Amino acid sequence: MKCYKDFREFLSVLDQQGQLLHIKDEVRFEPDLVSAGAALAQIGDSAPAILFDNIAGCIDAQVAMNVHGSWPNHALALGMDKEASLKEQFFEFVRRFKLFPGELERVPTAPWQEVVVEKDINLFDILPLFRLNRGDGGYYIDKACTISRDPDDWDNDDVENVGVYRLMVQGPKRIAIQPVPQHDIAIHIDHAEARGEDLHIAISISNEPIILLMGATPLLYTQLEYKMAAVMQGEPYKVVKTAQGLDVPWGSEYVLEGRVLARQRTLEGPFGEFPGYYSGGHRYPIIEIDRVSHRKNPIYESVYVGRPWTELDFLQAMTTSAPIFIQLNKMFPEVVAVNALYTHGLVVIVSTRVRYGGFGKSVGMGVLTTPHGLGYAKFVIVVDEDVDPFNLNQVMWAISVRANPAGDVVIIPNLAENLLDPAGVPNGMSHKMILDATTPRAPDRRGDYGEVLDTPEQAEAWRAKLLPLIKALKK
Amino acid sequence: MAPSSSTIVCPRCRSTTTSTRSKSPVAGVWTVFGCDTCFYTWRSTEPDVNTNPDKYPEVFRLNPADFLKLPEIPVIPPLRQKTSS
Repeated sequence: MKCYKDFREFLSVLDQQGQLLHIKDEVRFEPDLVSAGAALAQIGDSAPAILFDNIAGCIDAQVAMNVHGSWPNHALALGMDKEASLKEQFFEFVRRFKLFPGELERVPTAPWQEVVVEKDINLFDILPLFRLNRGDGGYYIDKACTISRDPDDWDNDDVENVGVYRLMVQGPKRIAIQPVPQHDIAIHIDHAEARGEDLHIAISISNEPIILLMGATPLLYTQLEYKMAAVMQGEPYKVVKTAQGLDVPWGSEYVLEGRVLARQRTLEGPFGEFPGYYSGGHRYPIIEIDRVSHRKNPIYESVYVGRPWTELDFLQAMTTSAPIFIQLNKMFPEVVAVNALYTHGLVVIVSTRVRYGGFGKSVGMGVLTTPHGLGYAKFVIVVDEDVDPFNLNQVMWAISVRANPAGDVVIIPNLAENLLDPAGVPNGMSHKMILDATTPRAPDRRGDYGEVLDTPEQAEAWRAKLLPLIKALKK
Repeated sequence: MAPSSSTIVCPRCRSTTTSTRSKSPVAGVWTVFGCDTCFYTWRSTEPDVNTNPDKYPEVFRLNPADFLKLPEIPVIPPLRQKTSS
């Protein structure tokens, strides 16, 4: 476990661990930055983060991308060994998640207060903004935490919210925000608009690596992300209160303070979204920025969102899998692990002990009734406990030999689905499928299963012996 | 403030309500423009498909007359009655 004090400390650890690539050659905002982001995603799941500080036309702009964009970087964000397996990262994430709540530590000042701009704010001059996908309607801040409080319950810390929402910069001090109605900030906006009042918000960009993961986790309305971040990093989470009373991470590079304008909407979009398709135009709320603070020589962080897999899929990996596991586990203690890595959990793989015939299908139906499953899980694959759901070779083997389409595929018609799933008919509705790839158990006597092969008893010991030898071979 | 008219045409919606948003700190490398009708933003150094109204892809084009047909999200709630205290 490790508590990174700010964004810069995490970048320096990535650098020490050989997980940060510093590009010193001159690059162009478009198309170099996102092209490099896309290339890193293609290179694989051990790719480093990337830092650009020689951008054509700029004097001191610095842009970091792919900071969470690999399993080693994800492990380092959690303070784990960079070689930790996916399964190990999952169990550690779940273990810490169950320790909720941790504590907040309020301090009076932060490094991001070094430079303050209140007059003639121009976000296009202050932030190194650029286009992500060619059809995007503009330049987006896409890896920031937006902080808000409930105007009907202003002093209640537990309903303060830290969320990651896409933010389209539309003018020198104007931003459009996408608050999906199911998200917590939509409740705050609704209460403020019913009162006819603007809603104060703060936007923090380039943070230590945990709070963004928490902002992307579907927590309950009364679970404050900072208190989850505290248990994830093993220390109270350090924040600074703004003049309006919003708690902002101590370790940010930039903090924008402003208001969601009451009862106004603006054209927003399109934007290349997580399913790998553009989401069309909508009329979304408008934020007006009143004040910008930042560190000296700030580093701007962005995430490339493209056809999966990209960095975004790492951000949504454990943060989606862990809550589904914890919720499902309450209903079915037999469940061993949940892999919801694929497109924010549109595909979910569950491994479980099977008590009797038909049990796997019941576990699959359980997934569909979890809060995240209601709006996402479209394909649920259930495997036995001896199959690692994070190892797709094992999952495919299980489907190959433990499932028979005649009795193991269940399709449930017309369930609720995420609006961004382009396959929905109509949008927001979909059939859902459970594929039961667990071995039939009595009284289900289908199939002709003999003894399953096991692994030779010394294989683990040999693995430990061979790995360093193989590493030495490569030197 | 009403959007002012400019000689720069928005590549996306073809309005002339455009303005310069930013110029490169190193003079003369790029300029960022924005449209105050559809809020499209572009940099002078981007490819034609993003900067030239004649090359802008049909599929991403917008007609300002259609804006109000787009869904309003979240829906604006009714104003609460003020209670006297």
